[in-house]
Amino acid sequence: MSDQVILRVAVKIIVPMILLYALYVQFHGDFGPGGGFQAGVIFAAGIILYGLVFGLRRAQKVFPTWVARLMAASGVLLYAGVGIASLLLGGRYLDYSVLAHDPHHGQHYGILLVELGVMITVCGVMITIFYFFAARGRETL
Amino acid sequence: MELFINFTLLALLAVTALGVLHVTNLFAAVMLAGIYSFLSAGLFTVMDAVDVAFTEAAVGAGISTVLMLATLALVGSKVTTPEFRIESISVKGRSRRPLLPIVVVVFTGGILAYGTLDMPGYGDPDNPVHQHVAPHYLEESGHEIGIPNVVTSVLASYRGYDTMGETTVVFTAAVGVMILLSALRRRDSYGEEAWGDEVIDDMDVGFKDAFGETMDPGLAGPEREGPEGGGG
Amino acid sequence: MGLFLDIVSWVLLLSGSFFAVVGALGVIRMPDLFTRLHAAGVTDTMGAGLILVGLMFQGGMSLVTVKLFMVLGFLWFSSPVSTYALSRATLASGQEPFWSEDMEIPDTARIPGMVYPVDATAEGD
Repeated sequence: MSDQVILRVAVKIIVPMILLYALYVQFHGDFGPGGGFQAGVIFAAGIILYGLVFGLRRAQKVFPTWVARLMAASGVLLYAGVGIASLLLGGRYLDYSVLAHDPHHGQHYGILLVELGVMITVCGVMITIFYFFAARGRETL
Repeated sequence: MELFINFTLLALLAVTALGVLHVTNLFAAVMLAGIYSFLSAGLFTVMDAVDVAFTEAAVGAGISTVLMLATLALVGSKVTTPEFRIESISVKGRSRRPLLPIVVVVFTGGILAYGTLDMPGYGDPDNPVHQHVAPHYLEESGHEIGIPNVVTSVLASYRGYDTMGETTVVFTAAVGVMILLSALRRRDSYGEEAWGDEVIDDMDVGFKDAFGETMDPGLAGPEREGPEGGGG
Repeated sequence: MGLFLDIVSWVLLLSGSFFAVVGALGVIRMPDLFTRLHAAGVTDTMGAGLILVGLMFQGGMSLVTVKLFMVLGFLWFSSPVSTYALSRATLASGQEPFWSEDMEIPDTARIPGMVYPVDATAEGD
């Protein structure tokens, strides 16, 4: 009685598009609505959909728990690191203008890296919370 | 015309909120909360705040609903009223109608609503809010930063420090969830950590009740009833 | 030409809205989950489809039209799958559809494990 075929086929087709759309939202945050938060949530939603249909163990093989925890922390590290890099290059903390030869390019680089940090953290956090919820099978605390 | 759309959306928001309170089945309450998030995303779009609407739709109507459904799969979706037993008297918790809290709430709400009559009009260009940094951001963002989306430039550059605080808050929430819900970990025969494996069978039962199928069909879960054959 | 496209897009938008209202009315008035899903399907296919095609006419030949086309494609791809998952979950949780009592159900259409009232009434005779 394996009529899970429909769900599996549909999810196999849709999940790559979801992940690609998350990257599109991330990198087009400069030109339209978007940015780090939305992109992180959409990426996590793709992985969660895969986990709901194919099983938690397979989702953890694709996206292990230690990767999610690492991502949650390293996004914040990246963000703060951009600030420290600005300090080391002569400006104030989180002053992006000193990151490149030209204030405009510096701002571009700074915003790109910072939004990337936000996306990495939000994605890691959402997937971590989902794994923790799904792995806990007790009726009462 | 836009006033009519705003009225309709706000009225639907109020109706949905009352529905969440009124419904006794938790599953229906979770679905209504998802509808509430979706309606507020529509309201934000009508107010021209597209980034906020995007985030609200993705987080509120997507992830939050999924996590609440996962909670329901573990907890069950019936609301039971508590019964207090005091010796031989048993009083059902719901039959008392408290008068004082509702008076306090109505009074406070009335005073707040009266206070908003003094506020400047919505979107008025003479607002004090629009006088200090907002014109600077809107006018200078083009040639100081050079990206078309002003929301991103304010969020990531002009107010970058606040966004770093937000990201840290999100990370702290994850740490909190990890501490509160740390599932049992054991080491299997090779010394590797098996992450909550032993509870997945229970999770399957709860998940099957909620979603109708097991989370991992490859597992040998609790036996389902075999086909009985037709009634004949 | 502009006026003609405007009229066409308005007709499509209004008929799409009509189908959305029909679907909503069906969801309220239908007795059972399965018939309600059938009514909600009208909103997903005809309602959303006609509204999006009407918006495509408003968008003209630009990137917006391509994006609307992709939105329509994703909507038509994913809503039957979600209807299927929902009805399967309902069946698996034990809730049975409203069967009529004198309907002849052929053997190929029987779901294993389901008890049909027509068999029960036939047995009771």
